[in-house]
Amino acid sequence: MELHRKINWSFVLLYFVVLLCSSFSNHENILYKNILKKVKKEISKVFVLEDFELSPIQIQPNEELIADFSGNRLLEISSNDTKLGYAYIGTAPSKTETFEYLVLFDNQFVIKKAKVLLYRESWGGEIGSKRWLKQFLSKGTDYKFIYRQNISAISGATISVKSMTNAVNELLSSLNFLIQNKII
Amino acid sequence: MLSLQTMATGLTIGGYGEITYNDPDSGVSEIDVQRLVMLFAYKFDDRVSFITEIEFEHVKEVYVEQAFLNYGVSDNFNLRGGLMLVPMGIVNEYHEPTTYNGVERPSLNNKLVPTTWREMGLGVYGRINSASIRYQAYIMNGFISYNDGAYKLKGTNGLRSGRQKGAESVGSNANFAARVDYYGLPGLKLGLSLYNGKTQTTDKSVVGSQVGLSMLGFDARYVKNRFSSRFEYINASLSDTDKYNLASGKDLGSKMSGYYIEGSYNLLPLTARQKLDVFLRYEDFDTHAEVAGNLTKNESFHRKETTFGFSYHLADGAVFKMDWQSKGTAVPESESKGQFNMGIGVFF
Repeated sequence: MELHRKINWSFVLLYFVVLLCSSFSNHENILYKNILKKVKKEISKVFVLEDFELSPIQIQPNEELIADFSGNRLLEISSNDTKLGYAYIGTAPSKTETFEYLVLFDNQFVIKKAKVLLYRESWGGEIGSKRWLKQFLSKGTDYKFIYRQNISAISGATISVKSMTNAVNELLSSLNFLIQNKII
Repeated sequence: MLSLQTMATGLTIGGYGEITYNDPDSGVSEIDVQRLVMLFAYKFDDRVSFITEIEFEHVKEVYVEQAFLNYGVSDNFNLRGGLMLVPMGIVNEYHEPTTYNGVERPSLNNKLVPTTWREMGLGVYGRINSASIRYQAYIMNGFISYNDGAYKLKGTNGLRSGRQKGAESVGSNANFAARVDYYGLPGLKLGLSLYNGKTQTTDKSVVGSQVGLSMLGFDARYVKNRFSSRFEYINASLSDTDKYNLASGKDLGSKMSGYYIEGSYNLLPLTARQKLDVFLRYEDFDTHAEVAGNLTKNESFHRKETTFGFSYHLADGAVFKMDWQSKGTAVPESESKGQFNMGIGVFF
């Protein structure tokens, strides 16, 4: 009797383990889908649109570009053949992890929105604060953000604050290069 | 459509360390590898991670400072369990030497909040980005007051000797710890910490073997250009200390409270890679703010300390510190004791 119960329980446990494993097997795909879902939701909100198209902009690798443009990170947003703006999905380091962020631009590459899409580490996630991210708005590609000067510090999140500031600066200067050289 | 690079999974190694030199006006000076802490974080996937810190204190004592499993249920809701830091005040959670000024942690964070205060627990943790709020709430094990005939808590440093640190700890009563951080105003971070419960005992039938504890903390940090400041206030109320003192012959206070305030200014331009912060800190705290029963207040437990010095951040994560301290008490006509400190701190 006792043995039977143990065997039964181990089957139940095994079932859960299998279930858990299968739910994680396609994890990375699910992750990207979730990120893309968030990006679309944000575009909807910022551009006040239900329907729009996203088309990737391919950028050839160039030594002058500090920001990463691989993997369809830069997208053109359009609706009914009218170009509305751009979306950039970046990855930047936190202390021991990486996080994903989104920057939305209007047609003239002026920042309309900055958002942290996925923050993994336990520390430093304060940079997801909507209020803090507002500091990046309305700036063009010739602007430079300086930590503690025009970007306020967040105690306990210094590394991530600096990383996000740096990432946006690198993105702006790379876009500036692309615009100057009429690549985009 | 999106194809980001494969996210790094697996092991991360980090750590922090502090090498200190303390030279009091009277007495011998001490040179010590005070702490060397190795951090290992293992990420099983984007939701599940295990974080542990192995600490070497004074080179030869080994402790586990943290060891917890984190499960991210959603973007703003995580479950956490294991050996965790108690979220009380600023320094207990952010105790790496590059995150605070002074070679030694503020004294309040030694005698009132017994850093590094960690216990076994289980709870929730998360952030609400739209409101700029971080929250934590845990059920935790508490301080031990009575262990097989030995009474652990006393007046001079309150709860410090009652820390169990997750080592074969006694669990007779669950405690509750919670904290909320608000960072919605530029440069400002406000924190409110709560801790409530009862100390642990190996024998509940021993009268006076347990005391009730209710601790409240409020803290603020403000950074603007080259200026930064912080303030920490702690108030701990203890019940049944009269019975505890009677049974133990100790002198545990029934209320402990105090604060420190600190300001610092970076002498280097903001565009420089390095940072040179000069700082001034004043502390006023009392582990005998109130006493119960027949106990008389010991005025020497009411400390008033001033620390002045600098933190030279050679790089993010590497600091050289030097400071001078004046440590006084509320004892009438007592003289303050001076101390010179020097230290090297790293955090990677």
